[in-house]
Amino acid sequence: MSGTALAQPVEKSRRRWFDLRLLVAALAIAGAVGYLMYTGLQSTAASYFVTVSELKQRAAEVEGKRVRVGGDVVPGSIRIGGPGEPIHFEITDGTSRLSVVYEGVLPDIFADGRHVIVEGTFRASQPITADTLLTQCPSRFESTPGQ
Amino acid sequence: MAELGSGALIIALMLAVYGLAASLLGARRRVPELVTSAIRATWGVTLLVVTAVIALVSAFLTHDFRLAYVAGRSSRDMPTHYVLAAFYGGQEGSLLYWVMIVGILGSLALYVHRRSDRALIPYVTATILSVMALLLFILTFVASPFELLPVTPIDGAGLNPLLRDPGMMAHPPLLLAGYASFTVPFAFAMAALITGRLGAEWLRSIRRWTLVAWGVLGCGLLAGAWWAYHVLGWGGYWGWDPVENVALLPWLTSTAFLHSVIVQERRGMLKVWNLSLLLASFILSVFGTFVVRSGLLSSVHAFAVSKVGPWFLLYLAAVAIVGIGLLIYRLPALQSDRAIESMTSRESGFLLNNLLFAALAFATFWGTVFPLFSELFWSTKLTVGPPFYNQVNGPLLLVLLVLMGIGPMLAWRRTDLRLLLRNLRWPLLAGLLAAGALLLWLREPLAAVAFAVVVFTTLVTLLEYLRAIRARRRASQESYLTALAQLLRRNNRRYGGYLVHLAVLIMAVGVIASNFFQVERQYLLRPGDSGAIGPYTIVYRGLDDRRTADAEVIAARVDIYRGGELRDSVESYRYFYRNYEDQPTARMGIATIGLDDVYVVLDRWEDDGRASLRVYINPLVIWIWIGGAVYILGTLALFWPQPALARQRAGRLARGMVTSEA
Repeated sequence: MSGTALAQPVEKSRRRWFDLRLLVAALAIAGAVGYLMYTGLQSTAASYFVTVSELKQRAAEVEGKRVRVGGDVVPGSIRIGGPGEPIHFEITDGTSRLSVVYEGVLPDIFADGRHVIVEGTFRASQPITADTLLTQCPSRFESTPGQ
Repeated sequence: MAELGSGALIIALMLAVYGLAASLLGARRRVPELVTSAIRATWGVTLLVVTAVIALVSAFLTHDFRLAYVAGRSSRDMPTHYVLAAFYGGQEGSLLYWVMIVGILGSLALYVHRRSDRALIPYVTATILSVMALLLFILTFVASPFELLPVTPIDGAGLNPLLRDPGMMAHPPLLLAGYASFTVPFAFAMAALITGRLGAEWLRSIRRWTLVAWGVLGCGLLAGAWWAYHVLGWGGYWGWDPVENVALLPWLTSTAFLHSVIVQERRGMLKVWNLSLLLASFILSVFGTFVVRSGLLSSVHAFAVSKVGPWFLLYLAAVAIVGIGLLIYRLPALQSDRAIESMTSRESGFLLNNLLFAALAFATFWGTVFPLFSELFWSTKLTVGPPFYNQVNGPLLLVLLVLMGIGPMLAWRRTDLRLLLRNLRWPLLAGLLAAGALLLWLREPLAAVAFAVVVFTTLVTLLEYLRAIRARRRASQESYLTALAQLLRRNNRRYGGYLVHLAVLIMAVGVIASNFFQVERQYLLRPGDSGAIGPYTIVYRGLDDRRTADAEVIAARVDIYRGGELRDSVESYRYFYRNYEDQPTARMGIATIGLDDVYVVLDRWEDDGRASLRVYINPLVIWIWIGGAVYILGTLALFWPQPALARQRAGRLARGMVTSEA
């Protein structure tokens, strides 16, 4: 706009690279957000994302913590049970296996060999009780090849 | 058709490269003929891309299963609208769609601004063509939608069941179009940076094009939320899933831009910041397109599932380096014309708004890519779920809502605090009363505070309308409705903006209510059994077996009673699509009764009719969709061309104001 050329004379003392007050405001917001994010990560909002073998290796470290484990459903391991009963299955990453109990709605894409992510609290030598069961397509818009 | 399509793409690529060279050469050597020819090349590229799209779409419609892309995503028994939608149902098609949108909007922009922004045009052309050339390169050499199968199958595999939903007709095209449209403002920003013409003239062009991208992307996000709510059986509309988050990011940064650009127009401040926001919006859009395809974030397998991943990453890095480099190079020319005089001014209000939006975007981005970073630095992959985002973004959004109420009441340069308080006293009082009453009624302090903030901000916004309408009526004896229409027409930027604010507030009501007061129950029922949830009783009526053209359907019928009275009946489905029998796809039964959504998910069943149902009561979710409709209206109002006369007057007025401010 032509008006910019007519910019008002600004008092020179006011014109600095950064304004201290703004810096304080920005730092305050950054601090608050940083704090919220830090506490968010410390709490149960964060979980360890591991493969089945990693989980076995680090069993002591993650005992009692929330974990998120990815693996393929072992073919033939799914015991769905009747309506209202929990689903039992095992997942594997090729070397180790992990038993999972899931009480929730049967997800859409859940079958032998599918890649799934389960989330729950880890207790050594117990099947993991998952409160979340995510099934994955290779990509959201990618169809799996039909047989 | 395949030959036509791939041929068109190759010629388009060559033409795009020619145009790119011509526009740059034309600008450097000052040969206007070359620039004109580059603009025409852009139009030509667009025509060729549209030809390729038509070729692909007609291949779908004629079930030409010689094409791998068509055979993998459609089948003969699919309804025609899903066959059409299958066009963007895969990576290659959606990239083709992306280029088409860039081409159409870019050509339009070049046509509209061919006279007004002469100095910028060569570089705008070059930037648009470079984006198109990259995508055309990928479409030709890395992931072609026109690849042929060695053996033509009799029938195709069909679209993935999850995508066979009305949501598929709206969500992907809008979201992808939103992503793609950020190319135009990005092109203007790059042109401004390259030419060093960083005055205010390019701002108006950029603002309108950003508005297009922002509005379309917003609609895409809303359509996605609606889709998730209807098919993903967890009773929610937003799960802070990485793919959702990356789509939200450019929306957040562009919302910030649309606010702070006002400060630059009026006060000549925040220039670097605005350009950074534009660069960020485009980079995040490309990032969003790329992440969906890469499997980078949601998967335990670390990298690039698809072949196009590295190309996108390379492009992202190039754009970031060039963009930031140019920004630093132009830093001296981007100094503010003025400094902020007082912390209680409109400009510092906008600045605070921007800081909050930036913080929101940063927190969301951080949470989304945290698994990658934590693995890189601590060799432990940590992921964060919805609680993290609720905890971090919730308070930020609440403060933004408060600011949405206070901001418009702040004056430029300096605000008289007594006047501010007088303007805000009634909404403030109403907000406090609402907080008290809601605390007693709901017994949920956070929800009470959140609702009270909504009440406060809504009242401030409505009072703004009322004041302006009264002022018009005093001047010209109009009816209230005419006055409102005139306001929206004459000063659409302000009052259309408030309409969007109201839309956000309406949505906020739905979000707060459904977050705090969702009720969930799981039942195991025989036909005829009933279960109680909240004030409702649901009666399970049994299962039904049906057949559609492409699927077998199990339907559970449920009656919903309230106070002994039948209020509604719903059916909750599981679809078994042909070719995808191992992937039963749920369709929820949702009944909106008064203010509540009763949401029924069919979980599992036995042949004797026993079924386990999961039922949710989601209060006020319908407000989110109503808010969505208002958002569209507000965006249209913002975009509505102002009458020529008013624009001239406004222009004169603005110039007059700037001089009088001096």
